[in-house]
Amino acid sequence: MISLHDLDTMIADLGRADIRQQEEGLGLSPDQALVELGKMRDVLVESIRKRWYALYGQISSRYGNAVVPVVQNRCSGCFTMLPTSVNYAGDRNEQVRTCSICGRIIYWAD
Amino acid sequence: MNKSCYCVWDLQSTDRDSALTELLASVPNIGAHSREMLIKALHIREQAGATLVTPGIAMPHCRSILMDDLVIAIGRSSSGIPWPDEPAGVVVMFISPVKPSGPQEHMDLIAHLASHMKNNGPERITGASSPEKLAELLGLDLIQGG
Repeated sequence: MISLHDLDTMIADLGRADIRQQEEGLGLSPDQALVELGKMRDVLVESIRKRWYALYGQISSRYGNAVVPVVQNRCSGCFTMLPTSVNYAGDRNEQVRTCSICGRIIYWAD
Repeated sequence: MNKSCYCVWDLQSTDRDSALTELLASVPNIGAHSREMLIKALHIREQAGATLVTPGIAMPHCRSILMDDLVIAIGRSSSGIPWPDEPAGVVVMFISPVKPSGPQEHMDLIAHLASHMKNNGPERITGASSPEKLAELLGLDLIQGG
């Protein structure tokens, strides 16, 4: 989900006229990159469970940021303190976890 | 804007992917999982279109939710790293955070680097004689010991 979020950020950035202009000024080809990123997104989405992808879409459209880090044991989207059992789960980054209040997908930066 | 950079003066990598890994390895305080995801993001951007911006200089970059702050790492390879069709003697890698305020910091850095590359020219930059000089020509502040 983090990769999908980062990929969507790249796609959104290259969709902006100001960034495209900058990249073109550097000699890069943002149009071509945008097409390729779209193809890579399709491949990545295929590898994500439909349930999680649907959730990602719903949360993205509601909040803009569907994936947020946990900072000081709180969801950084809604600042809710997460339960201890979630914060200290041994496999906390190995499965998709969501904030029980806002529903955003949460991760722990290491 | 934070313009501090780490430097790998003598990159040992002989291909683009390992150069990205080697450069990111010079940045401290990034966990193994985050590092892996950042490499993946940089790799995706490169696969979408190689970031060789001017003869001899590559500028791999991305924005990621895994970063709290802008990270810049520069490197130099005396033999040149295939990027992938033409060699890059200097690699300027940066990863910007994803902030609610948008990509302004990312854009400011691109503009800053573009301006210095234009003013100093690729020959001077790729021919820099020391890490300090390379950072100076790119308008960056070298993190000593980094």
